Amino acid sequence: MTGAGGQSWRTQKRVFATIATGPILWLLLFFIIPLAVLWAYSFGRNVGLTEIEISGTFANYAKAIEPLYLQIFGKSIAVAGLTTFICLIVGFPVALAITFATPKWKPWLLLGIMLPFWTNLLIRTYALMAVLRTEGYANQSLGWLWQLSSNARVVLGLQPLDAFEPLHLLYNNFAVVLGLVYVHLPFMVLPLYAALDRLDRSLIEASLDLGAGHFRTLLTIVAPLAAPGIISGVVITFVPALGAYLTPDLLGGTDSQMIANVIERQFKRANDWPFGSALSFMLMYATFIMIAWQAQRERKLMRTGIGPDVGARA
Amino acid sequence: MDKMSLLRDSIMGRRSLLKSLGAAAIGISFTGGLAACSKGGDKAAGGKEEPKLNFYNWDTYIGETTLDDFRGASGIDVNMSLFATNDELFAKLRAGNPGFDVIVPSNDFVERMVKAEMLMPLDHTKIPNFKNVGEAFKNVSYDPSRAYSMPYTWLTLGIGYRKSKVHAKPDSWKVLLDSDEYKGRIALLSEAGDLFRLAAKYKGHSVNGVTKEMMPELEAMLKKQKANVKAFHEDNGQDLLLSGEVDLVLEYNGDIAQIMKEDPDIDFVIPKEGSQFNSDNLAIPKGAPHPENAHAFINYLLDAEAGKKISETILYPTPNEAAKALMPAEYKNNPVIFPPADVLAKCEYAAYNPELQPLYEEAFTRIRAD
Amino acid sequence: MMRRLRPAIAPLDYTRRWSMRLWVGLVMFFLYAPLVALMVFSFNDSRRNIVWRGFTTKYYDKVMHNDMLMEALGNSLTIAFFTTIISLVLGGLAAVMLWRFRFPWKAAVEGAMALPIVVPEICFGVAMLIFFAQIGWPTDMPWPFSLGAITIAHVTFCFPFVAMVVRSRLASFNREEEEAAKDLGASEWQAFRDVLLPHMKPGLIAGALLAFTMSLDDFVITFFTSGPNTITFPVKVYSMVRFSVTPEVNAASTLLIVLTVIMTSVALYFQNRMVQSGKGPA
Repeated sequence: MTGAGGQSWRTQKRVFATIATGPILWLLLFFIIPLAVLWAYSFGRNVGLTEIEISGTFANYAKAIEPLYLQIFGKSIAVAGLTTFICLIVGFPVALAITFATPKWKPWLLLGIMLPFWTNLLIRTYALMAVLRTEGYANQSLGWLWQLSSNARVVLGLQPLDAFEPLHLLYNNFAVVLGLVYVHLPFMVLPLYAALDRLDRSLIEASLDLGAGHFRTLLTIVAPLAAPGIISGVVITFVPALGAYLTPDLLGGTDSQMIANVIERQFKRANDWPFGSALSFMLMYATFIMIAWQAQRERKLMRTGIGPDVGARA
Repeated sequence: MDKMSLLRDSIMGRRSLLKSLGAAAIGISFTGGLAACSKGGDKAAGGKEEPKLNFYNWDTYIGETTLDDFRGASGIDVNMSLFATNDELFAKLRAGNPGFDVIVPSNDFVERMVKAEMLMPLDHTKIPNFKNVGEAFKNVSYDPSRAYSMPYTWLTLGIGYRKSKVHAKPDSWKVLLDSDEYKGRIALLSEAGDLFRLAAKYKGHSVNGVTKEMMPELEAMLKKQKANVKAFHEDNGQDLLLSGEVDLVLEYNGDIAQIMKEDPDIDFVIPKEGSQFNSDNLAIPKGAPHPENAHAFINYLLDAEAGKKISETILYPTPNEAAKALMPAEYKNNPVIFPPADVLAKCEYAAYNPELQPLYEEAFTRIRAD
Repeated sequence: MMRRLRPAIAPLDYTRRWSMRLWVGLVMFFLYAPLVALMVFSFNDSRRNIVWRGFTTKYYDKVMHNDMLMEALGNSLTIAFFTTIISLVLGGLAAVMLWRFRFPWKAAVEGAMALPIVVPEICFGVAMLIFFAQIGWPTDMPWPFSLGAITIAHVTFCFPFVAMVVRSRLASFNREEEEAAKDLGASEWQAFRDVLLPHMKPGLIAGALLAFTMSLDDFVITFFTSGPNTITFPVKVYSMVRFSVTPEVNAASTLLIVLTVIMTSVALYFQNRMVQSGKGPA
């Protein structure tokens, strides 16, 4: 994606200026500048209750790489990674179904995916809690099934089952992952759909006609072709999941804090903006490194001539 | 409710700070109220204020008709915005007051905001209804002689529990903080400061008697207790209790009193070791565009009739004696809302401690990460 | 595996497969079951959200007469609307820029574009709080303009998402099409409008949906950029549920969902009709 390809901006300066001015200016004014202030804070220290002295100290970063915080970073990445993986597995077939749905059905399916997400995140989370509670609908349904099968055993002349023990579905890491999947699924489905929609279907047909199964076709033909969409879906899911704080707060158990919870506490409860900034920027540095690494890799691929998107322009 | 800051009590003033920064780029130096002072000042000087007021409050923390009644009585249009925690209130005002006239911080935050010079001193001559306030609330440790704040409600932390699920009345912090008797059926408030102070209280100290040396011991106890705790709740413990998710919660009496009306199987107790008070207060932040109206509004909220309507809605204990007198017996004589005097005698306000607060926060992060 | 009867017409009719249908059905169930429960409980005659106490519509009545909630809803929809439009333009342009051109500092611009996606909400919220406080952004402007600060903040974190989705879409574009159009005498603008834009459309739609959703849902950044007159739905809800989830919140959400369904259905209906009438004579 990091196309080293494409035309040089010099060939069409006016067009480039028309296109580039808006986004770059906006980003500079309303993102880079405000964030630069916080970046400066990450090298500062608190003086009194509301004042911060930019002293150029690295103390905040030194604290941020203490094992305690690294461990929380690690755990957050694991939880977000698992969430993303599940979203991909669950979301891919759905995106595929939407892509190949009839034009009449397509918008409805898209709407169906999006609609729950027009309900407030907090309300959705509470709704999920009502389902997962010890006396919630999930346990009620399971209890009912349990009773049914117990009765069936009696009818068959077997011992009835023991009394139903409600599952503890809330306040643990399972609940956090489930909640994150619930919340982030459309972030995965939409980019996947956008990428799959204009796939060259003849390739798939060819693969099928040549005797490859659907699953194999999916893996060897569809997935590589949809790679840009998969990557953007993964990024768009993983990153917000990494930054989730409400879900672990409300669904998690006593050990389910994620890095965003810690960051949030620094900006609010602990009133330690310099340290909060340092923790936040740790996340951003990591992203930069990842992006740079990927750009590097693509450049290498490009050089060996097998890179994607070499560009039709010669 | 108390959470604070990593900060040295520095005497470095605003001026020297600015100097040390030189001509800092935008935002690098900022001082609460600097921008806002100029914004508010000119209007206050102009004599008559426009009939408007920006009220920053917790949701549902006002009588259902109070704002309309006030408009009827004074012609001032109150516009209420919402915050959900003291931390948010503080963070929001830290960079300067964006235009609020009256805010509702808790006791420790009053203390903190006074220290940070974020509050405007109150003009008591404009608040004659201060006479309605109970004696116990007229001069408090966190705001001596009420120079900056007026009491709005007060609360006490304690244990809310389900009567049918406990063997005996859980009247000691031991069951919550240092025992596996109710393993997996406990929810604690996720406020680092409160947890450590109550742990100290359980150990026989004052809530303000925590020292650095005691911290490792308290942390070890809470770390051990974590295995028995099902969740740290965000001040919604009453919901966990009502839904049967847990059987014991650390919560405020007012919150438990509300659900006791719905479920007779629930009760509340203040442990025998004593507990911690909390009080929400009305205050005027510096840079408020309508300070005159703000005083009038605060005075109105302390009125007997208005106070009664507020208490009817929010059901928290009121410090307004005149309003309390107008309330029905089931409120006035409710031992959960107004615990007996001998129990209250063992409760204290938590003072704001800039030394310990960051230690609480860090220790709590460790406990949760463990 | 099902035998394909009309391979030439519908070889890839994945939606006809029962396994696929089952999967989509399960996902929809997963997404909707909690919401349906929420809707049902908006009719619960109890202040608490937990035990069923009988049927009532009184919470809808309350919502309708809750001026603050209605105002918050109006503000949120207004902000989401403007955010979506501006984000689409900026995000679309950014995508084309990054996809089409090579320019100095491109990697830096790309990194900066990715940052709003990674920066923790609270961090960005505080940054915007300081920013608006420092430039002295007026907080007492009349209505639609009072939402300006929030909208600016929302656009900033939304448009990179749009750019990302659109760009992954552009990756499948065959540039020869555009070349051909230009060879046939189309201007830069015509080529963009008639060739590139149609190709970007699914990406733009997906991006718009994302932006609208994120804007409508954002609490943290909104909280820090709001003034005394600009309450939004998430801020209201967030404060409300701190005092426990009342059926009133459920009722408001139910109304929001129903409203969205109706609006979208009407739009889809008319679009379908237009498509059909357009096809009719051909």
